Amino acid sequence: MEVFVGQILPYITVAIFLGGITWRIWRWMIPRIVHNITLSPFPSNWVEAVMHPVVQLLTMWNVLKFDRGLWIGAFLLHFSLINILGGHVTGFYWVGEHFHVWAPNLVTLHQSKLASDFLGTVFGWLLFAAILILLYRRFAVEKVKLVSATSDYLHLFLLLTIVSIGNWMRNVRDFSVPYQVARDVLAGLFTFNPVPLPDNPFFLYHFLFVQILMIIFPFSKLMHTFGMFWERWIVNRPYREAPRGLPGAQIQP
Amino acid sequence: MSANALRQPKKANEALMRSVGCDPVPDDKKVEAAIQHIDEFRKKVRSFVMAMESCVKCGLCAENCHTYLGTKDPYNIPANRADLIRKVYKRYFTVQGRLFGGLVGAEELTLEMLEKWYSYFYQCSECRRCGHTCPFGIDTCEVTMVGRQILYWLGIGPQLHTATAGAILKTGNHMGLTKAGIEDTLEFLAEEIKDDYGIDVEFPVDKPESDILYIPSSADFMLNPGTLKGAAMFFKYVGANWTMTSRMTEAGNFGYLMDQNRIQRELVSRLFEEAVKLGVKKIVWGECGHGWRAAKMYIPTMSDYVGSRRIPITHIHDEVAALIEAGKLKLDPTRNSRKVTLHDPCNYVRACGHCDVMRTVIRAVTTDFVEMTPYKEQNFCCGGGSGILFDDPDMYQYRIQASQKKADQVRATGAEILCAPCSICKAQLYPMVKEHKLPVEVHGLIDLVGNALVWD
Repeated sequence: MEVFVGQILPYITVAIFLGGITWRIWRWMIPRIVHNITLSPFPSNWVEAVMHPVVQLLTMWNVLKFDRGLWIGAFLLHFSLINILGGHVTGFYWVGEHFHVWAPNLVTLHQSKLASDFLGTVFGWLLFAAILILLYRRFAVEKVKLVSATSDYLHLFLLLTIVSIGNWMRNVRDFSVPYQVARDVLAGLFTFNPVPLPDNPFFLYHFLFVQILMIIFPFSKLMHTFGMFWERWIVNRPYREAPRGLPGAQIQP
Repeated sequence: MSANALRQPKKANEALMRSVGCDPVPDDKKVEAAIQHIDEFRKKVRSFVMAMESCVKCGLCAENCHTYLGTKDPYNIPANRADLIRKVYKRYFTVQGRLFGGLVGAEELTLEMLEKWYSYFYQCSECRRCGHTCPFGIDTCEVTMVGRQILYWLGIGPQLHTATAGAILKTGNHMGLTKAGIEDTLEFLAEEIKDDYGIDVEFPVDKPESDILYIPSSADFMLNPGTLKGAAMFFKYVGANWTMTSRMTEAGNFGYLMDQNRIQRELVSRLFEEAVKLGVKKIVWGECGHGWRAAKMYIPTMSDYVGSRRIPITHIHDEVAALIEAGKLKLDPTRNSRKVTLHDPCNYVRACGHCDVMRTVIRAVTTDFVEMTPYKEQNFCCGGGSGILFDDPDMYQYRIQASQKKADQVRATGAEILCAPCSICKAQLYPMVKEHKLPVEVHGLIDLVGNALVWD
């Protein structure tokens, strides 16, 4: 199982993940934007039209404005998730020394590793809390319960499982995996020279569940990551008003 | 839930459906035909596909939809309304729906489901407040439109919409008024203006070599004559060479609400036939919310007439506002001195960029204007949007429930006049005012302009 999950499955996962996303987006590109259904107030030019979804993305503005309770959970989830994903990339690539690499005069090697540990721990717990908030909403808030399908709960449970195992490895010293070991596993995969997984069941399951998430990603609502931009491209486009004034009239503006 | 328990407006019979060009599908073929139509839409209309594939079911839209607020019916949550098609879409057109149907909420299409479509797509007022509030901008209005179009193709449509579309195809307006009837009414309106303001106003119909073609809402001939009188007084005041056309005395477009593929398109073609024939240089639209959206936003991509690229179309509010901004209209706001509030018609504010134009006008012609909360593009629908002005008892009850939010908004302002510059809003607000016992009069915006014009 270790060999399959650690050295074979990752290639299948990545192929499904990238291929699936490409296929879904390909399918979105086949139909046209038939009529101009931009929402008003209209953006007056393309810069405004592009800035609108960017602001929405960075602040989750609509959620903040129309559903404060959801915003707390959703913003926390996405903000911690993006930091954790970024942390996995930078943390493993520079084995926790990235802050020192980026600002050698300001941050020492030791400080960089401490910061990496600290941020990973904090965002790990924040993400855990955010998932619990969203799960609570699905179970307890009537209107959310009414729109939820089984898969909506399962996505959250899958995330919760991944995050719980991740937090376990980070917070329980006996089960933690050094950055260098994780780096070797990933480097092996990226260079098509896979190495065996460390002897740690938590790492195995963390790695397996992440791959399951990546496999279902293109075939689930998780595609909203991209869908948001495709949708906004339709409903936030510039519009130019027709000129005013009545031809032939005696009084003109 | 059985089909009998669903809240549904009265259906048009087969003869009526055929009279508007629909070829009804027999019951045993309906499901198959509907799936085929969904397949066509998903390959043609991106807004439909994105609405099908982007929802994360966050539930934000629920309390931002007046139909859910008014009825607490789970299917009136926009996400669930769209899910009536999304479940079917998932089942037939997605990997996850084919493999794990129950898990992801996919469902086979059945006749029972089609009855649900009919019930809930005709409870949606296509107001787009869900699209405005959705974090991704998912526009459930697009799903409602697809749902209604497919139902129409199957031969399922409300008596009201079908008969109204039939009337406009036949007479050029939704009220079924003949040219003689229209001229009669206009003569009467001209006399009223003479009596009230002492001025001679003409209402030209089919006048050749006119510069401006004015498209009134046909409801203005009967229910809201103040709006038509205001428009005529405005054109007289600015000295415009204007006319109406007897073949298109209708700003609304019930095709847009039911059959965009044929009836809406045909009405657009007819409009430009008339515009070209009369040689007009500009088309000015009257007070109608969905009609203005259908004209302003759809004509550029729908009309096959080259005239549609060359003859600009504006709304009468645009023209009045431009003259007010330029200081070219002499207005006496004290003539409208009672406390007035503005109901923002959904199509104006969320689809046509019309918020500020209306405010420029209303501030210039009234002395005591108060906003309701929320307002502008966040405003709630009156409850009649997309022509769901059904009279059968169950649906009438629904309209009153769906207008609860609006009634609360209006009451909180303490206004005496409720300005609602849209014919469908007006038609919905008259009974709303009565049933919710609101102490307000409903008027259009151009009514107030006509009343405030100062004649030298």
